Amino acid sequence: MKQSRRNIFKFAGGAVAGAFFTPAPWRLITDTALWSESWPGIPRPVRGDVTAKFTNCGLCSAGCAIRARCVNGQPVSLAGLGGGLCPFGLTAHHLPFHPARLTQGPVEEATAAVKARGTAGLAILDLNPGRTASWTYRRAMASLKGSYLATADPVAYDLSSVRTVLSIGTPLLDGWGTPSKVFPARRNFRLIQAEALESRTAVMADQWIPLAPGTERIYAQQVLATLRGRDTSPVAAQLKANGPSVVIGDAPEVAEINRLLGAWGKSVVARAEAPAPDSWRKEAAPVTALDTLPEGSVRTLLIDESAAASYIPWDRIAPKLTADALVVTFAATKGGYVRHATYALPIAIYPEFMDDLGPAADSADPAWRISAPLVPPPAAVANLAEFAGALAGISASNTLRERAGAIHKAGLGTLTNYATGNETALKEVAAEDFWKVLSEGGAWQNVAAKRNPPEISTAPLVPAVVGAAPDLPLLAIREPAQPALVSPLMTKLYQESNLRLAPNRVALHPDEARAANLRDGARAILYTHAGRCAVQVTVDSAVPPGSVYVGSSPGIQDICSPAAHAKVVPA
Amino acid sequence: MISENKKTLAARYGMSIDVDRCNGCGSCMVACAVENNVPPANANATDRTGLTWIRVFKVDNGLEGADRRSAFIPLLCQHCGHDAPCVSVCPQQAVDIDPATGVVGQMPERCLGCRYCMTACPYHARYFNWWDPAWPAGMEKTLNPDVAPRMRGVVEKCNFCHGRWHAAKAKTAAEGNTAIDPGDYMPACVEACPTGAIQFGDLNDSSSLVARNARRAESFRLLESIGTDPKIHYRSTKAWVRDTAHPPRPGKENARG
Repeated sequence: MKQSRRNIFKFAGGAVAGAFFTPAPWRLITDTALWSESWPGIPRPVRGDVTAKFTNCGLCSAGCAIRARCVNGQPVSLAGLGGGLCPFGLTAHHLPFHPARLTQGPVEEATAAVKARGTAGLAILDLNPGRTASWTYRRAMASLKGSYLATADPVAYDLSSVRTVLSIGTPLLDGWGTPSKVFPARRNFRLIQAEALESRTAVMADQWIPLAPGTERIYAQQVLATLRGRDTSPVAAQLKANGPSVVIGDAPEVAEINRLLGAWGKSVVARAEAPAPDSWRKEAAPVTALDTLPEGSVRTLLIDESAAASYIPWDRIAPKLTADALVVTFAATKGGYVRHATYALPIAIYPEFMDDLGPAADSADPAWRISAPLVPPPAAVANLAEFAGALAGISASNTLRERAGAIHKAGLGTLTNYATGNETALKEVAAEDFWKVLSEGGAWQNVAAKRNPPEISTAPLVPAVVGAAPDLPLLAIREPAQPALVSPLMTKLYQESNLRLAPNRVALHPDEARAANLRDGARAILYTHAGRCAVQVTVDSAVPPGSVYVGSSPGIQDICSPAAHAKVVPA
Repeated sequence: MISENKKTLAARYGMSIDVDRCNGCGSCMVACAVENNVPPANANATDRTGLTWIRVFKVDNGLEGADRRSAFIPLLCQHCGHDAPCVSVCPQQAVDIDPATGVVGQMPERCLGCRYCMTACPYHARYFNWWDPAWPAGMEKTLNPDVAPRMRGVVEKCNFCHGRWHAAKAKTAAEGNTAIDPGDYMPACVEACPTGAIQFGDLNDSSSLVARNARRAESFRLLESIGTDPKIHYRSTKAWVRDTAHPPRPGKENARG
């Protein structure tokens, strides 16, 4: 072939075209995918010694027993012992790295400001009562003549022996109790769920009774009237016929219903605390309900938001404060009361610090569990128990050990060691071993303790009324409360699927959304009589017309109480 | 590899999911993400572009008001036994069926990102990495060392927690045994489920709980009529829940809204 420039170009062109008929370029594509495997931006999991640590989940009072799989001491996954876990508990080892975590705060400045105020009008608001730290707060307030404010629910339920349960709006199967207790018990009772929305509990109930939003209390009054022979309610008849029965709900009538059903003192008992040193009980301030506090009486308010699942709307707290009140919140997240506080101080969170757990709603017997730390806390965190203890001159550094000593001294109950699975009578365990097991993953329980009925409120039961507000046409239904800080992986449930309503979202029936000119995902403003809040909209045909299902963010809770009148308009 | 799914398998791992016991809490979804190093959502991710190897869908009976009833159906890769559509369409041989376990595996190192498998999957149980995997600062310390994070541009899906299978296999070998003890191998979603709705085991072992549940009258499989022989068996005592497993009739696709 003659060598010419034209032929050289023809040969080169033919070679390029021919290459596509060989495996080479296709192999190159595969190899490109292989090379991309080692992009430097992809994190490489750390390898190392795999060990197991045991603790109790500190996110709520259910306190599920946890086995943590650790690599070089760092937890990489959590699993429940004796049952599964809720999604919040499963991902708690991510919380120390949460981007919304509060990490800095003026600890010294806040301390100086509180000391300068003196002790007049001092109060502590404990959102996670029933712990040993709560006893420290009470002792400190007794010493300083301050008020200890708490929202403790005095009632515990034993579901293991009941045959029928009527739940009026309680998320019984969705975070209310300990999964490893509630779900095995569920196999033995018939569950009737009465609430406005077909919730996760209602889906699993044997019977769901749809109520109009805001009429839960009217329904409870109807059941009570039937039990008193003044009305007819098929559900009340079922409760009587298929006993033992129990009713669970927030309505004030529920206590009287349970008394008439014979559950009071049997499956409904006073929530029992583990023994505490006698000296603590003698020195403790009484528990004061926030609503009974005179208006404008609090000059300095210290708030414990650690592991708080409950949130009190700010408009219930604000009237109790003086105009120049100093508010110091000990918080894990930038949400919550940080928006209203003079000082926000960062705290260590589960699973970083050692704390005990208050009694659970489904634990009729006294129990004591410690949430043992799995990772070290960051530097420069505050601790309200030590803060209040220092103000009152009380040492708060060894109180858990003292409490364990008091329990051991009583000598009752059994100790469960999570690592070995052994259960031992407490009287056979030495004091040092008792503390060692509890602080490395264990639980004390006294199932033989005498059960006491809760005190019945003497407040008169007044008829419930659902008011009207023409300018706010919707009635609010609230999503059950969830921990203040949740793992970034919860986006799987909030954003990458629509399984749970995100805390900053509201859900509307398609007809309501259409009437308000809102589409799925739209930004909107939620209005109530208490204020307004920016939200995002989810359109869901499961939401009853005439109502709005609201998330549980503090911003929404501040303006939107259950059954509040509301409206949603485009932002 | 493709032809090997015709052979008799040593084990045929599958699941039995009791829909009546699922309360839609989502524990299985986050446990799966923790175990398999699936990252949190990118800010732009939606329910169409997210990564959820197992996703719980809420279905209802199509009625309104007081007659409305709902159920939660966890949907994951169905690990088709015959003619898995994703296997046959993959140009890279990045999908195969493990003859030892019956698990439909996905190899991200081979994946080209063409997403033919996603189109072919009748269960929509495959997910594409639209973004680089990213965790909040420090959270990468909590990654599972047994599973490599995947890069942007590849498809991923449930593999019955392959890392756990390897660990169980290693333990079995160390003990001098050949057969994996059922108690040693359990996917993360099964372990996490607080209601015990998900059971896992070898469908070839007729005495296993999962095999016995699969034979129950109220047991059903999704889109069984298309002949993919899925190894995820659901069960419900409610007829309308079982009906959701059938493909919609032509012209009726949107009857349920």
